[in-house]
Amino acid sequence: MTSVAYHRCIAAACWLLLAPVAHAQEIPTYAPPPPIPADTQALPTIVLMSMGGTIASRGTPRLNITNYGGKGVPRVDPQDWVHDLPELAGIANVIIEDQRAPQDRTSSETHEDFARVAKRLNQLAADPRIAGIVVTHGTNTMAETAYYMNLTVNTDKPIVFVGSQRPWTGLSGDGPRNLYDAVRVAASPEARGKGVLHAMNQFINTARDVDKTSAYRVNTFKGVDVGAIGFADPDRVRFYREPVRRHTTQSEFAGKDYSSLPPVEVAYAYRDAPGYLIDAMVAHGAKGIVVEGTGAGSATSSQTEAIKRAQASGVVVVMTARTDGGRVQDTPRRREALIVPGDNLKPEKARILLQLALTQSSDLANVTRIFNEY
Amino acid sequence: MIRSLLLSLTLLCAAPLASAQNAPAVALPKVKLFTTGGTIQSKGAHRQKLMEYSDGKVGPAELIADLPELKDIADVSYTEISNVGSPSVNTEIQLRLAKEINAWLALPDSAGAVVTHGTATLEETAFFLNLVVKSDKPVVVVGAMRPFTAVSRDGPFNLYNAVRTAASPTSRGMGVLIVLNDEINAARDTTKSNTYRMETFVARDLGPLGYTDSDQIVYYRKPTYRHTTRSEFDVSTLTTLPRVDVTYDYQEQDGTAIDAFVAAGAKGLVLTGSNADAVKRAQAKGVLIVNSDRKGAGRVVESAKGASQNRISADNLPPQKARILLRLALTRTQDPKEIQRMFNEY
Repeated sequence: MTSVAYHRCIAAACWLLLAPVAHAQEIPTYAPPPPIPADTQALPTIVLMSMGGTIASRGTPRLNITNYGGKGVPRVDPQDWVHDLPELAGIANVIIEDQRAPQDRTSSETHEDFARVAKRLNQLAADPRIAGIVVTHGTNTMAETAYYMNLTVNTDKPIVFVGSQRPWTGLSGDGPRNLYDAVRVAASPEARGKGVLHAMNQFINTARDVDKTSAYRVNTFKGVDVGAIGFADPDRVRFYREPVRRHTTQSEFAGKDYSSLPPVEVAYAYRDAPGYLIDAMVAHGAKGIVVEGTGAGSATSSQTEAIKRAQASGVVVVMTARTDGGRVQDTPRRREALIVPGDNLKPEKARILLQLALTQSSDLANVTRIFNEY
Repeated sequence: MIRSLLLSLTLLCAAPLASAQNAPAVALPKVKLFTTGGTIQSKGAHRQKLMEYSDGKVGPAELIADLPELKDIADVSYTEISNVGSPSVNTEIQLRLAKEINAWLALPDSAGAVVTHGTATLEETAFFLNLVVKSDKPVVVVGAMRPFTAVSRDGPFNLYNAVRTAASPTSRGMGVLIVLNDEINAARDTTKSNTYRMETFVARDLGPLGYTDSDQIVYYRKPTYRHTTRSEFDVSTLTTLPRVDVTYDYQEQDGTAIDAFVAAGAKGLVLTGSNADAVKRAQAKGVLIVNSDRKGAGRVVESAKGASQNRISADNLPPQKARILLRLALTRTQDPKEIQRMFNEY
């Protein structure tokens, strides 16, 4: 019996034993695991924190990559990842930590969860024994959560967000490789000082600029316009860029505990978009409004009237563009209208930055400065 | 302190909106234009002519006179290096260009340099400069996709934005830059991706560093690979560079080109694939071998097998740029391991 065939036999026997619990099927079980060094203390210590997500979900059968999860369906716990990926032991001392929201669903996460996790990330990063942190998250809003951490966690150590487009148990699931690569990135000394990172599909992106661009494809996360900053290739983790906007240790919001943030809502612009939605936001107590404008950042005339009413009651208005690329610029007309240009931020990220800015003041010059610097 | 510095930089970059009427109270930044030719300096017989426009050439004085708005943003002088299309840019022109730029930037009151260049090989000259310019001051390479005489020509705004970028203190330390189509790209990572469209210069996967928007020169990224002041390459005393050629890989490629380049005296070869026998024959004659790729994105990963065969991985450099780096590497060493280090760092 050849050694490959022997390993396949062992693998098949393992599958029989493990049949009731579906672990990731796509890791080639006949390949030898990477060598684990004799002195594992020499390996970097990486915290693997679960905030849940598709990467922490099971679907049956394994072709189910759209309708997985839900109430009563067993989840993938952090220890399952470590069990399914013995290769992790060859690259890091992995410490697991569970920070899932009670329902383990991204859509049910609230600011309370972000504030708790930000506080915890600040604590973990301050621990000299820890080299880096990997955070799993559902892909729908992970770019927002990562950006919030990019602004509020005070550390040079790598914090790497990762998820998957297919459930952990899905056929050709992208989760295992993504998770392995995220740990490699978090363990890479080159990843230090680059702000909160995002690693999926072998691309390394920055939290500020990364965006989910496709509902189901595995090549969904892109730094729209500005691209990735590096690759997690089979031979090594490589960086080509560093972000120049302020983040983490250079952020004036870092290390502070924001148990609550001022309410900020997003209004979308489209042909005939009415102003009453903006009026309603103000009536419900919004302190800031991000208008996702058409083209280079325009609102309809009814929205423009409503914006003036909102501003008259002290609400700060930021303009972003629904073009998914390019910047909203600082123009004389926009300055006259007291509208803060949202730069090239997506409205959901402009919202987070505006919330943090409003914890200081509603001073337009200060909010504009913050949008220019972050 | 940092905040006020950032604010003042932002204000400096916001110059265009203030422009024209107000005469500047302070001296404008001194930017020198080094012209080499290309579409941006070419004339067509009529204004719809977007190809084969070899009906006349534009010199640096005419280029500057055509753009009076430059007077508001910089004190522009010029040096004409050549007036040729980019396929004719050769080692002699590149070396002269590098020496002239280094001399200019060494002057204490110079702010930056702009280079006009044909677009077909613009990225090669830009990467070359990125490795041999000895200054933190901005060097911006610019071109045009449509000739000087064309309707909706892109040259003037490209040139205006290139001068703004070179005059901007925020551009310092970014390495050599390529500015066309409102985008600021890094010389190392940018390639011409389309024969005629104006959005042709792209850094695949990695994207631009920033934009030359009307309100400000804005940056989001800084390159991390070594360049300019952190580069070990020095051409100040060189009059030529070692010959390095490129072979393209395809089905049934039999190594004829490799043998021919070696016979012609190549000291190094950049391959996009391999013909094992021809490579061994080349290496036996002391020719250095770099593996690049024809796909246009992604890295050639380093492997134990490649290293054992003394093959150097080009990282994510396309063949034409791997050639530039190998030529400069061969001015320093013949050791494949040392050259691999250079490909990992530059």
